[in-house]
Amino acid sequence: MLSYVGRRLLAAIPTLWGVATAVFIMARLLPGDPARVIAGVLATQDQVDRLRWQLGLDQPLPVQYLDFLGRLVRLDLGTSAHYGDSVTGEIASRLPYTAELAFAALAIAVVVGVLGGAAAALRRNTAIDLAISAVSVVGISMPTYWLGLMLIIVFAIQLRVLPAAGADSPAGIVLPALTLGLLSVGLIARMTRSSLLEVLGQDYVRTARAKGVPPSRVVLAHALRNALVPIVTAAGLQLGALMGGAVVTETVFGWPGVGRLLLDSIFSRDYPMVQGLVLLFAVTYILVNLLVDLLYVAIDPRVRYI
Amino acid sequence: MRPPRWIGVVLVAGFLLAGCGTCGTGPGGVRQTSVLTVAIGVDPDTLDPMRQTTTTVANIVQMVVEALGRVDQTGKVQPNLATAWQEAPDAMSWTFTLRAGLRFSDGTPFDAAAVKTNLDRSLDPTSVCPNCGALTHAVKSVDVIDPGHVRLTMSMPLAADVLLGLISTTPYSMLSPRTIQKGTPGYTQQEQPVGTGPYALKQRVKGDHVMLARNDDYWGRRPAFAEQLFRVVPDIATREALVRSGQAQVTLLPPVSDIPSLQKDATVRVLLASGDRSVFFALDTVDKQQPLLQNVQVRQALNYAINRDAIVKSTLFGAADVASAPMASSVFGYCQVPNPYQYNPDQARSLLQKANATGLTINLVAPTGRYLQDFQAAQNVANDLRAIGVNVQGPRTMDWPSYVGTVVVPSAKASVDGHMLGWAPQYLDASQAMQIFDPSQMPPRGLATSYYDNGTVTGLLQKALVEPNRDTRAQEYCEAEKQVWNDAPWIFLWVQKFPIVYSATVTGIGSVPTESFYTVYAQPA
Repeated sequence: MLSYVGRRLLAAIPTLWGVATAVFIMARLLPGDPARVIAGVLATQDQVDRLRWQLGLDQPLPVQYLDFLGRLVRLDLGTSAHYGDSVTGEIASRLPYTAELAFAALAIAVVVGVLGGAAAALRRNTAIDLAISAVSVVGISMPTYWLGLMLIIVFAIQLRVLPAAGADSPAGIVLPALTLGLLSVGLIARMTRSSLLEVLGQDYVRTARAKGVPPSRVVLAHALRNALVPIVTAAGLQLGALMGGAVVTETVFGWPGVGRLLLDSIFSRDYPMVQGLVLLFAVTYILVNLLVDLLYVAIDPRVRYI
Repeated sequence: MRPPRWIGVVLVAGFLLAGCGTCGTGPGGVRQTSVLTVAIGVDPDTLDPMRQTTTTVANIVQMVVEALGRVDQTGKVQPNLATAWQEAPDAMSWTFTLRAGLRFSDGTPFDAAAVKTNLDRSLDPTSVCPNCGALTHAVKSVDVIDPGHVRLTMSMPLAADVLLGLISTTPYSMLSPRTIQKGTPGYTQQEQPVGTGPYALKQRVKGDHVMLARNDDYWGRRPAFAEQLFRVVPDIATREALVRSGQAQVTLLPPVSDIPSLQKDATVRVLLASGDRSVFFALDTVDKQQPLLQNVQVRQALNYAINRDAIVKSTLFGAADVASAPMASSVFGYCQVPNPYQYNPDQARSLLQKANATGLTINLVAPTGRYLQDFQAAQNVANDLRAIGVNVQGPRTMDWPSYVGTVVVPSAKASVDGHMLGWAPQYLDASQAMQIFDPSQMPPRGLATSYYDNGTVTGLLQKALVEPNRDTRAQEYCEAEKQVWNDAPWIFLWVQKFPIVYSATVTGIGSVPTESFYTVYAQPA
């Protein structure tokens, strides 16, 4: 098991190197001079040139690239061109906000999604099933931006019970987490429904019922546990999608997480920050995938990693 | 199959749990009256006064740190940390008398040595001070005469309005010398500014807010609000929602299209503050791809083609004044031109005919979200041009860094015939407003992106920069403005306003025409 984890982590290194290279090149393909953007349109050419020198942007690209990789190996992501602080420090101060938001959203998505999906499966072809399926489709298709604004209008302007923006009061997370979570509810509900329906048709479920196991135990212990593998996979992938969805949600709700930091950094051509954040997203994806694979062992005893 | 009862139980429990985020905390964001909450759109990049490039951020920093002078609501320089100033008869030195007995909020005394430390830092060629302007090469040295007096020795004379205007801007504000000792990290970048201002920095959470607390030892009038919270809300609709829901008392730059409905809302007030940002389409006056634009008549024709009043009314919802000169009326040196470009498509067509420019083709670009309704208005402009028979390609749009990279380029690399820009001087003096017509400011050195070069105008601008007599100076700028207007290096459009929306529960929200807001003396209504 440990050697499996070790092998997976080793295999992640070429992936990360690829991501690092791609983002390095892509950031520099964007038009616009970072030194000019940072110094402002009023700055003199001397000031822009000095800034370019300070940022190391006067070096040839291969030198910049090797310098970037060399620092990366030492886990040094460089200095933010926009904020003037270390990229690692800046990300560390903003990451907890996104993590909090993503986990709250995932919790909403999993709880509501699994319960809704299970209800739909157990009440197959009834009005409940139809209603849950309809809500799922609406949830999947609704743009985050619009949903966020609708929630703000209802809960902040009309009812005046929740803050529309800001992370400094505990209630501040409710609307962004709902917005982000509802995005994934539909997918998880539909995944749960189909997976559970498949399992409910299996012989061992019929056997369990026949031998008089109480219905709740049949659903929980026999059916749902076996149906969990695809659900966990979907939920894991959603965590990745949530990090991406955070870019929009964090902007709408003024949430100070890394999603908005990424957006701001792209607009200010803050190369080191963009590189650091994209790498962070890549690492998150890799770790979540690994975690999902390891969870299979806990859920399904037949799965073994050597 | 019987319905499993547990599902209902879990569903209810789940919703209770999910809903519990709100229990016990009460309506979040709604604060007691001792805090004024202001929703701003930009996350401050730095709170260092010297490194400021964004007016909104500079406005916040100005509540903490103060400069020797202060620009009042009419744009005049008033005493602040300096109570008086005297220019030497030969204009080669200036003596400032400092306000006595002041301390920075960390207890350090404010004196001539503190002023020297600060000015030396801002004027240090190795410092990053994008908006330090002409002072960086015009000031030779800063010397302490005695604790209450400081002298600036000049290497070249500057007009009084220019020198005093600049020295009153945020980059020349006074920080506690203790925090910016040379050789310390605070010298290059100061993120915890400690000043003499009415408020002191209490807390900053990047991306979320900046919190200021009242400086109870402030030398001037005491503000009403114990704290002011500047909440960073990048989304324009959310900013409006904050003020409509009572979770913020002030919001800057709401969606312009909502101004009519906000004006009808009795719970909020709309302040369409006058600004100093001239919005225009800069034309490439030395265009190689479209040589017709080198012809003054063609450029004048384009100016006659635009129905500015209609665009301001229907696209900007009244949040602008139609241009009546190459710069805003709030700027010193402004004079109304005698021949405004009234909307006249027939005259536009006949000018094009005279210039043999019928069938003229031009490509346009405009930014999105940089100026009020910029891209939308650019489309109106393009349509007005099409109506007189110009074949307009675009307008194309792109994000701001790409845009700057496209339009702020040397003439040889220019790829577009016309681009929309908004130009706002940082202090209300024509020297900065008009430098955009000075050929020495052509990219890459500056923002003179129409590559306009008229010897008469250049001469007038150079004279006015050092002219000691205020009236003569104003006259020189007036002459320059008339010439520029006639040469039409731009399609002149309008001077945009600076919309501020605030709750009817507060008063005393003000603004300075440099697109600045002023909430220091806000108070509950």
